Amino acid sequence: MFISFFRAIKFSIQDVVRNIWLSLVTIIILVLTLFTVNMLLVVKVVGQTAVDTIKEKIDVNLFLKTDAPEDHIEALKMKISSLAEVKSVEYISKDQAMEEFRLRHQDNPEILDALKELGKNPLTPTLVIKPKSMDVFDSLINQLNIIEDDIIESRNFSNYKTMLEKINAITEKVSNAALVLSSIFIFITLLVIYNSVRVAIYTHKKEITIMRLVGASNWFIQLPYVFSSIIYTLFGVGAVMLIFWPFLNLLQPYLETFFVSYNVNLVQYFYGNVLSIFGIQFLVAAAINILASLIAVRRYSKI
Amino acid sequence: MIQYQNVIKSYTKDYKALNNINLHIKPGEFVSIVGQSGTGKTTLVKTLIGEEKIDDGKIIIGGWDVTNIGQREIPVLRRQIGVIFQDFKLLQKKTLFENVAFAMQVCGGKNAKIQKIVPHVMKIVGLESKMHRYPMEISGGEQQRVAIARALVHRPKILLADEPTGNLDSLNTNEIIDLLLRINKFGTTVLLVTHNREVVNNLKRRVITIDGGQIVSDQENGKYML
Repeated sequence: MFISFFRAIKFSIQDVVRNIWLSLVTIIILVLTLFTVNMLLVVKVVGQTAVDTIKEKIDVNLFLKTDAPEDHIEALKMKISSLAEVKSVEYISKDQAMEEFRLRHQDNPEILDALKELGKNPLTPTLVIKPKSMDVFDSLINQLNIIEDDIIESRNFSNYKTMLEKINAITEKVSNAALVLSSIFIFITLLVIYNSVRVAIYTHKKEITIMRLVGASNWFIQLPYVFSSIIYTLFGVGAVMLIFWPFLNLLQPYLETFFVSYNVNLVQYFYGNVLSIFGIQFLVAAAINILASLIAVRRYSKI
Repeated sequence: MIQYQNVIKSYTKDYKALNNINLHIKPGEFVSIVGQSGTGKTTLVKTLIGEEKIDDGKIIIGGWDVTNIGQREIPVLRRQIGVIFQDFKLLQKKTLFENVAFAMQVCGGKNAKIQKIVPHVMKIVGLESKMHRYPMEISGGEQQRVAIARALVHRPKILLADEPTGNLDSLNTNEIIDLLLRINKFGTTVLLVTHNREVVNNLKRRVITIDGGQIVSDQENGKYML
């Protein structure tokens, strides 16, 4: 039993080496499909980061009265900061607000002229409140609505709620679409791997028939091809890791530029999850390869 | 050794490849089975090695009724019958040594035994110096000799040769037939399926003639009659 088992491994290695071009082609197809799967993962991670970035940009503005004393504003700021739902509170004075307004509209002379016409600063001091997460947004709005303070000019948060609901709806649709697309893509990938192994074994059809005619049992014929499948998968996943690492390092600076001031580190993500990411890919690809081998060999050894 | 009792094999409703074949081959015989193309010779071979199942009758080989042999038993049957084919059926990606050794490996033969027997058998067929070559590197006649060597490693009681000289020239043909005769001298029952008139007539052994799926002649010292 053990002799035959080790013989099967030897035959398998012999087969891979002596059919080197076929082996290379099979491995290349595997590498291409696994690379595509990993690219999907990159898109998913980057997409998720983009969505989180957008959500983080949502903050609540509390407009204060123009003549509100600074110490009173500071006290209100402290009060709001102490709320459980609040991540940070920033105070923008009316002069600061005016400066930012001028900068935003520096290319729009009509607006700047209108401002000059007014003669005074129409903008009010503002408290910019960032929630800890989008999940606590509703709770935060409720808390802000019940705060009693004379210096609060206006509190109308309905726009934020509508905007947030829209963003959530869009991100949910995008997530669902991404899930469906990923599923289709992964299904195609699995089919490609399955069929490439079947084609590889089809080229061994004559050999399988001869083995059967000489008196080899089904498992004696099948086992070397099962081991070959594992060898192909091992090399395939190894090659993908070797190619993907420099690719990620190449991509990282561009991502950092795009997501400036946000921590998007794909290299770290993949490094931190290397076992689960490539481990799962190895297991799934090996399973598909082995299944394809068994079905194909069984089909051709029915003599 | 081999008994066919009222064997019928049909591929379609109207076409019987084997039509009520009754045959008895004794141990140690050298029998030529002749007939033109399409008369049922190959079907006879296929039913003998379990490649095709018969529709009626019985096939008994060495006392074993193989009529309804199961899928799992077929490899066991084939290890007991040495078979050589017209197209040699060698594994192209294995060396000659490995091709012959394969027949022992399928039975779980130990490496030491293989290392002893295979060179010996290769010597019998005259190819001991070419053991580490590949099939594509040798001639057709030599490939057929390797096939014979592979068929012999188990010391089978029956050697079935299905048109072994079909792809060979007359010189190689004679060499192969001589080899088969030598094997037969050692006690192996040899079934030679052929449509080579010259070979059959020179052998002066038992000749069974098949025509239209039926045995039309069975002569101890026969000639090619069709």
